[in-house]
Amino acid sequence: MTDFSPEVVLPLLLWGTLVALDLVSVPQAMISRPVVAGSVAGVLVGDVEVGLRVGILFELFALDVLPAGAVRYPDYGPATVSAVALGAGTPWELGLGLSAALGLVIAVVGGWSLQIVRRWNARAIQRRAAALAAGESSAIRWLQYGGILRDGLRGFALTLTGLVLASTIADSLRLDRQSAVAFTLVAIGSALAAAVSGAFRGSGRGPRLKWLMAGVAVGTTIAVLA
Amino acid sequence: MNRRLRAMLRLFAVQGTWNYERMLGVGMGYAAEPLLEDLKAVDPVRHGEAVVRSAEFFNCNPNLAGLALGATTRAEYEGVPGPQIARLRTALCSPLGSMGDQLFWAGLVPALVGLTVVAVVLGAGWWAVGGFLLAYNAIRIWTGYWSLRTGMTAGMRVGAAIGSSWLPRAIEWVGPAAGFALGALVPIVAMWYLSRFGWAGALGVAGVTTAGFALTRWFGPSLTSVRFAILAMLLLLFFRRVGM
Repeated sequence: MTDFSPEVVLPLLLWGTLVALDLVSVPQAMISRPVVAGSVAGVLVGDVEVGLRVGILFELFALDVLPAGAVRYPDYGPATVSAVALGAGTPWELGLGLSAALGLVIAVVGGWSLQIVRRWNARAIQRRAAALAAGESSAIRWLQYGGILRDGLRGFALTLTGLVLASTIADSLRLDRQSAVAFTLVAIGSALAAAVSGAFRGSGRGPRLKWLMAGVAVGTTIAVLA
Repeated sequence: MNRRLRAMLRLFAVQGTWNYERMLGVGMGYAAEPLLEDLKAVDPVRHGEAVVRSAEFFNCNPNLAGLALGATTRAEYEGVPGPQIARLRTALCSPLGSMGDQLFWAGLVPALVGLTVVAVVLGAGWWAVGGFLLAYNAIRIWTGYWSLRTGMTAGMRVGAAIGSSWLPRAIEWVGPAAGFALGALVPIVAMWYLSRFGWAGALGVAGVTTAGFALTRWFGPSLTSVRFAILAMLLLLFFRRVGM
């Protein structure tokens, strides 16, 4: 179990805020991808294997998301950080399912919180409509800083919520071994379904589908031989 | 700092004020500010109008926003009538959105993520994650630089410049690469997780995967993969509670 001391929680909060900002606002450097967010969170809590296992699990879910245009999507970055915090120090076969359950809920809440921030941004723009119509560059600058600040606060609050829930679950919930393994298997199955669904939807019926099938053949061969 | 470099750095935050009214508009205005500074001394009235236009509604893939920013900025300096610049901005939204999404979100990102995950699973560990960040950011920074430069060079002829550039060809090959990487990822990752659980566990996971895939396709988009996963876990919890 993660030691939820300030030395561990503060870096996790900072990391969760950064990955939340990276999703949309700045800099979109892909540190918000679960495989990255989970790996770093694993180092921060001192359990690299759980970081990678949780990160890749959420990466499978994230592959089902195409963040094009104004589409709504879950925020997997802070969700992965919280899930790693919950699963660290437990054998991943037993902790992955519960971590996934927490992370998925946080990801959904994160998606909603993005909508709220977008509405707040619109309201801020309406408040400064006169300055924008007058061509005041300073109004644009302050709107931009305000938008990034709001998103940063969203990421901080989301990560904090995830860590508080992780700490509460770690202290209060005890699953028997059979249930823990069953949860893990359901989480893996659901994540694989998401990845398969995303892969097929992205491929359509064109030449990309043939490449997808070629990839499956190569991947299956490697999986059997490795 | 060079004004073009400042504008390029600001483009990394172009979605900082994303909203459903102007979408990327304010972010574009923020990125345009350093590029429009010279216009202030030459023609303050035109500068004010240009600033207003720069922050109006705009939407596209953030990695290609530099094309529109560069083209409209050049048009402002060339004294192109305002309504014509506004039409150019509007006309660029869909193609830059579609091309950027195909190139990055449906192509480059899944291709690189697929390769990274496969490499991690096969034992590359941290090197693969670092390589992913380096490769992706090298490509997107170069694309951002190219976009802004091409937009500023082409001005109102940016459409022709995009059509004759590397972008359409890159989209053609990055899609199949993404398909291949995702296809390889699924069995390798499945084996990585399931090797600890034996045949019974693997069969259970196969059942959940099949049900998830089928149900999310039949009932999507109301039943997303996340909702399916949460529902499946709640069902499991219920069955464990009743002793099954």
